[in-house]
Amino acid sequence: MIGKRVALSLLLALACARTAAAAALDDAAERYRPYAIEGIGSALAGARDLRERVAAKDLAGARKAWLSARAGWERSEVFTAGFVPELDALIDAWPNANSGFHAIEAKLFGTGQIDVEGDTDTLIKNLDELHTRLRDMPLSPQGLLDGTVRLAYEVGESKADGGESRISGTSLADMQNNVSGVEFAYRTVFADRLREADAGLADSVTKHIEQLKTVVKAPDLPHVDVRALRRSSEELVVSLQAASAKLGLRRSTLEAQSR
Amino acid sequence: MNLRRLGCAVIAIGLLIAGLHERVMAFPVDGDQTTLPAKTELNEDALARPREVFHSEILGGKSELVRLGNLAFSSPSILGDVAQRAGISCETCHVNGAGNAKFFMPKMSTRPGNFDTTGALFNPKADNGALDPVRIPSLRGARYLAPYGADGRMASLRDFVHNVIVNEFAGPEPQPAILDAIVAYIQDIDFLPNQSLGPGGRLVGKISESERRGEALFSKPFPHDANMSCATCHIPSAAFVDHTQHDVGSGGLFKTPTLRNADFNAPYFHDGRFDTYDQVVAHFDRVFELGLTAQDQKDLVAYLTAVGDGLQPYEYDGAGATLKEISDFAVLLGTAIPAGDKEVVSLAVDTIGGELRELTEHYPDRKDTSVPGGEQERAAARAGLKEVVLLLRRIDMAVGEGRTSDAAADYQTYRSLMLAAVPSLLGSAQRWSLFNAAVHDRHYEALRQTMQSKHMSQ
Repeated sequence: MIGKRVALSLLLALACARTAAAAALDDAAERYRPYAIEGIGSALAGARDLRERVAAKDLAGARKAWLSARAGWERSEVFTAGFVPELDALIDAWPNANSGFHAIEAKLFGTGQIDVEGDTDTLIKNLDELHTRLRDMPLSPQGLLDGTVRLAYEVGESKADGGESRISGTSLADMQNNVSGVEFAYRTVFADRLREADAGLADSVTKHIEQLKTVVKAPDLPHVDVRALRRSSEELVVSLQAASAKLGLRRSTLEAQSR
Repeated sequence: MNLRRLGCAVIAIGLLIAGLHERVMAFPVDGDQTTLPAKTELNEDALARPREVFHSEILGGKSELVRLGNLAFSSPSILGDVAQRAGISCETCHVNGAGNAKFFMPKMSTRPGNFDTTGALFNPKADNGALDPVRIPSLRGARYLAPYGADGRMASLRDFVHNVIVNEFAGPEPQPAILDAIVAYIQDIDFLPNQSLGPGGRLVGKISESERRGEALFSKPFPHDANMSCATCHIPSAAFVDHTQHDVGSGGLFKTPTLRNADFNAPYFHDGRFDTYDQVVAHFDRVFELGLTAQDQKDLVAYLTAVGDGLQPYEYDGAGATLKEISDFAVLLGTAIPAGDKEVVSLAVDTIGGELRELTEHYPDRKDTSVPGGEQERAAARAGLKEVVLLLRRIDMAVGEGRTSDAAADYQTYRSLMLAAVPSLLGSAQRWSLFNAAVHDRHYEALRQTMQSKHMSQ
């Protein structure tokens, strides 16, 4: 009987601890919201600027606006695939760029055409919807960790063929923005809690993020050390997956639909 | 390795060169003539690849040395920085140990199928200041084909491989064991069987009259030198070589190439100047004043075609072929992990992981809307492959930190996943993958349409 009470007490204590940890992470995830809104807001502002440049038949200005919009989007990929998959596919479809960023990219940077009014309007509409939904969309720590892990893995994929943004030549910038997104999500939501739970593992995650940042600092895409990129990406993912248990979260899978 | 990596490597090198010359280079996905010549293999996944036949498999099984050699042969990490950055390995040019008629590298090739091994790109110290590419040879039957190099300058295959790694591709000095392994691997690659070839290299079985006449012409003394015939150099009983260099009017002394499996070894001559046997025969007729009639030439071509044939020269490049190759490589981990051999573990993890990441891209993700259906199946296949990539990385990390028992446990998990779960996931997603010809065509048509817009602006 006494044993049972002890066990129940322990379970209760563990549950309370879990609740406290979960609450701390929920708060941290909430701190991420302004950043998410800002990232998509930046993409939206770039897209609106793009629309104005297009209306003014200003190709150089339109290209610059597209690059600005793209940077905001790439920083936000930590949450776009996991939280809004349908909008993610509309905004960032590849390779059949019938709408979204790459449709516009193909014309602006490929053919040098500026007749992208319709595509830009659609992009603005989708980004605006996402921007609005972000204000009250539940942002779970689990979802943010999953997105961070998946993006960290994706950064390690070879861009030897030019990457997704090969027409505009911004695939390296995409990678740098992705890594910034990964780092920000980790530092904002998970770093403090992980340091409390396992300082060594927290150091390991930080080290791998720094390694990844160094690799993507290459002067251009062909000078990215592909082997080091893959290695640091995968070591970061392995560390983040190990961190999930310490954070009281499920181990992240590598594809949103596959859990 | 499938041909996709070759395409990526070529494009990466193209980008590198573009960077060197400070100009924008068109992405050559559609084989635009302004960018790359026709027949160049681009970044489209080929659905078939050359079949590789190993001598040791006939004898009962591949040795660990041959497996290690095959692994190193497929790994960019044994070559220098430029090759590594572009993801180029020995396998890039010698696909499954065969040649590569579609390989073209801007500034380093003059036509698909040749490559300047003394150009500046991979090793400035190796640059001879001339664009003098040589044909990429098949390595089938290499153990019968000394000396090595188009000009036959090296008697030893080991010396030749060392020179390719260290001088031509500026790689680090290879470990002797790795060098031995690569040589063992190359020497294990057999010719494809040819049922038309009997003892002494004679044609046997159902032979056409034209082939028979061609065989006789092949051994007929030349009109102006009765001591010479085609068979004097291409000795039928010796794999159609004489291990000697000759001047056949192509600009220098070059070794006699084998005619075994040569139907699949075009382009021909040391620099790959000829596409067909017809052109080759016409060249010899002209240079050696053979006085061949049109029928004679046809008969010789028929004979060469019969001699150069091989059983099942290509195999379907499905997920199974890649998994089989990976399985061969992974066997090495079974001994390297307990031995704490960090170098072999890292080599295996990097190479297998690269193959698995490539394989993952055959199962398009949700954002590829050119592929209708199978979203869940594709996601499950991608997730499964990514998990094994990470398992391998955990093994590499554990061995690096001296935790061999952790690595061994992860290796067991890896093996069990690769035995059933992963093949099952890939099988379920197959019909929505790039291994399905219809899906493949839709995907690349979409990519081509997008990329053509770039060509139009240039």
